[in-house]
Amino acid sequence: MSYSPTNATDLVQRRNSPPPRMGFPWGRLFHYVYCSLSYIFLLAPMVVVVGASLHGGEFYTAIRFPPVEPSLRWYGEIPSSQFEALGLSFLLAGGAALGACVIGIPAALGIVRARLPGRTFISSVFRAPLQIPSIVTGIAFLQLYYLFGDATGLYFQGTFLGLYLGHLFVATPYVIGTVTAILQRFDSRLEEAALSLGASRWSTFRRVTLPVIMPGVYAGALYAFMVSFGDVPISIFLTAPGFVTYPVELFYGMENDFNPSILASASLVIFFCLLVLLGMQKLVGLDNLLRSGSR
Amino acid sequence: MLPSFIVIGILIVASQYVFLKGSFYKDLGLGRIGDTAVLDNYIRFFTDPFYLRTLWITIKTSALAAFFTLLLGFPVAYLIARMRSRWSMLLLAGIVVATFVTIVIKVFGLIIIFAADGWVNKMLLGLHIVDRPYTIIGNQVGVVVGLMHFTLGFGVLLLYSVIQTIPRSLEEAAQIHGASRFRMHLRVLLPLSLPGITVGSLMIFNMCMGAFTSAALLGGGRVFTLPVLIQRTVMMEVKYSMAGTLSAILLITVLLINLLSVFLLRRFRTARLVVT
Repeated sequence: MSYSPTNATDLVQRRNSPPPRMGFPWGRLFHYVYCSLSYIFLLAPMVVVVGASLHGGEFYTAIRFPPVEPSLRWYGEIPSSQFEALGLSFLLAGGAALGACVIGIPAALGIVRARLPGRTFISSVFRAPLQIPSIVTGIAFLQLYYLFGDATGLYFQGTFLGLYLGHLFVATPYVIGTVTAILQRFDSRLEEAALSLGASRWSTFRRVTLPVIMPGVYAGALYAFMVSFGDVPISIFLTAPGFVTYPVELFYGMENDFNPSILASASLVIFFCLLVLLGMQKLVGLDNLLRSGSR
Repeated sequence: MLPSFIVIGILIVASQYVFLKGSFYKDLGLGRIGDTAVLDNYIRFFTDPFYLRTLWITIKTSALAAFFTLLLGFPVAYLIARMRSRWSMLLLAGIVVATFVTIVIKVFGLIIIFAADGWVNKMLLGLHIVDRPYTIIGNQVGVVVGLMHFTLGFGVLLLYSVIQTIPRSLEEAAQIHGASRFRMHLRVLLPLSLPGITVGSLMIFNMCMGAFTSAALLGGGRVFTLPVLIQRTVMMEVKYSMAGTLSAILLITVLLINLLSVFLLRRFRTARLVVT
């Protein structure tokens, strides 16, 4: 343990507490009010969507916040196309998160462990997808598929595989980032101990390394899932009519034919995000999640 | 690691190569392109006032959004990072949810809030602050607000991790020695978090530069930023080369900013070494 000055000053602080301070703490009050306003700004849109979804009025008066005639009517009228889109999004995001782990974990191990020349270059290649604006990724993949299709007759745009590759591309760096962050703090002597005590390489990985990096894997997979689940700019190029992800369906729904049931399904998605977050808090703790998540 | 590297490497090289190459060919309309490489598209971009204006609007809205994200986000990040009670988890959860919910839903909420007959407008009209309903759809204010919603949650998380690296004891020391809260912030917290803030704000700026969804929905077909224009050029005008050129310019701008931030980070690191 390194020398930490926090405890010493804490003691001093506690002995002298409360610290002598004149008058009313206006600065502190201002800070709290300011932060509340930030929170209102940040959370209001989601609260409004959930609130407005509870309004059961007729089609053209259907957006009301606060709801005037509370009912769950629009939840019952979510069209199947939206459920299909949600299904596709779940499948895609789940697959992308899984694929990101399959590619990302070995990559992270390689970046941290391997004594290779040009490690910085390799790790920046792995991070590159995050530097490229998503819209550029979308159009780049679309043109790649056109070219590939012209050459081989296999067109990927508007297929699951095509969409999946695009999402995998942006999702992977998140897992690499979180796992790398944990591995860099991980004492590799633990592995050496396991190996020297006769464990095989695979069982060392499974029994020693994996449990240690697991919080990073969860965090990375969660980021990967959420990035894929909420993506519009890549999907908009790679989907086809009748084959859209949920955010794209929502995007078109807002631009063209608005239907109040969108509010209902959007609320369901918000609740889903809350649930995922709760699960993560139980599983690894939010603090761990963020500590490994900061790239 | 090798297989992973090959997969990602191929995807990067292949996708970037195709559109970068395409950007050098002339559009003949209907998705057909010319067969000799020329600089026409790039020359057009830098001579056509419409494209230059788009670039300017993209930079302007992104800079404004990044600035206001910092302004709103920093005090929140500071509050959470310095909180000792369990409430900090709840506050943090609020930020994370806001980050994870797709931007389309958030923009949807914004549109409802600022609807012509919504309560915000009723209030503004009732207080005679405006004489006709205020809308955020189709103007640059709306785009900036939309971009902020895209980046604010992320920005708070970023700044949170920056502030956590600054020992609390330094602030306490300043206060014990009689510095006021304001003075402590100005002379201790701000200088120490400046490297993080600088690099973070460049990251946020980059996110805004590439942000498509909020700009497209709140721009309402009237405000064009580069990402919105790229999508329109492909989907409506079917000009792949021009879209490629626009993408290349966006990509290069963003990469240059990234290089700048790496450079700054190095500078700060060496500067710090000298101090400690």
